[in-house]
Amino acid sequence: MSWVKSVAFSEDVFDEDVDDISLLNKEWKCNMEKRSKRVKATQSRNDCHVVFCQDGFRDGTDAGKAAALEVGFNMGYREGATKMRTFGQLKGIMSAVRCWCHSQLPGSPALASVTDLLQKLQKHEEGLVEAMRKTQEKPPPSVTEMMDDMEDLNVEQRDYNGDSSSCTKDGDCLGNAGGIACCGMVEDSSRIVSLKSSSLADSFEQLLKCCLDLVTELGLPEELKCHIQQIIDK
Amino acid sequence: MANFSNNDDLFDSIIMADNRFHNEAYQEGFEEGIRQGTIEGKNHGRLHGAKLSAEVSFYYGFAFAWKCLLQDSSDIKARKRLKAVKSLVEMIQNYPFEDPQYEKLQEDMTAVRAKFRQVCSLLNVSTDFREYLKGSTEMSF
Repeated sequence: MSWVKSVAFSEDVFDEDVDDISLLNKEWKCNMEKRSKRVKATQSRNDCHVVFCQDGFRDGTDAGKAAALEVGFNMGYREGATKMRTFGQLKGIMSAVRCWCHSQLPGSPALASVTDLLQKLQKHEEGLVEAMRKTQEKPPPSVTEMMDDMEDLNVEQRDYNGDSSSCTKDGDCLGNAGGIACCGMVEDSSRIVSLKSSSLADSFEQLLKCCLDLVTELGLPEELKCHIQQIIDK
Repeated sequence: MANFSNNDDLFDSIIMADNRFHNEAYQEGFEEGIRQGTIEGKNHGRLHGAKLSAEVSFYYGFAFAWKCLLQDSSDIKARKRLKAVKSLVEMIQNYPFEDPQYEKLQEDMTAVRAKFRQVCSLLNVSTDFREYLKGSTEMSF
């Protein structure tokens, strides 16, 4: 959003006396300054094309992202919904059982064990949601942001120039190096999450078993037991 | 004349180089953007789907269990409760809450919540289930 920056540097945005053309001129100037800065950073006229690559890559990334966000959201939504379905059901069943115990068997030790089980379920659910939230809070760093940050920090792009000779041949520009780096990071973080959830899954099986045992112990209707059994079988 | 057209081509390729590099990089960037956008969208959607599904499934499990528990009693009060509980079960069975593109996702959710509150008041239980999950075994309904 170069225009935002260019506007931010100038005077009042809502100044009605400023005509559109001068605004456009400012944007153009800002863009050119940025570009010439980058050209200087590459320090060689041969690497000028890198700058065009950067601009194109940036625009492409933004466009691609915008196009894919909704599709990704829908995919993730279904995944998350399926994951929590059995879990929510079990919690609901046990909450109902708890209410029932409370009214039918006041003071029975069963009430305490149902409550205990519910607390474990709650903890388990919080763990699952927390894992999801962590993944969401650490989105893959985008190349655009990284490049902007580097510009802001005045980091010289000399490191890239090392491989820029290979760049020139196949048109692979420096953005790609960054892209591969973030792929690795994303894969790593998702692996951590899946590891965590697999250890959680083990205890979920145990919790299911406990629920079934409790329901049997309390002599609750067969239909309810069957339903829990179905959840286990899934 | 031939020279001239050669020169023309030369300048053309220089002038077009900007465009060409830009377009090539744009394509690469677009693919990268698709990848990133999918991951970001997925992470975001997963949380939303999980939250809604956890809530609706909780209601479903709750209503289903009560349906089983009330089925065999014959007094009028229990009949009334059973009717409400059954309608909540049906309502959720017909609610495609796992489909993010379902048009009435929010609308139906409001209806399900309202029905759940009604069921709870008929059953004489508090709708706030967090209370006893916090650890106090002493609790009030």
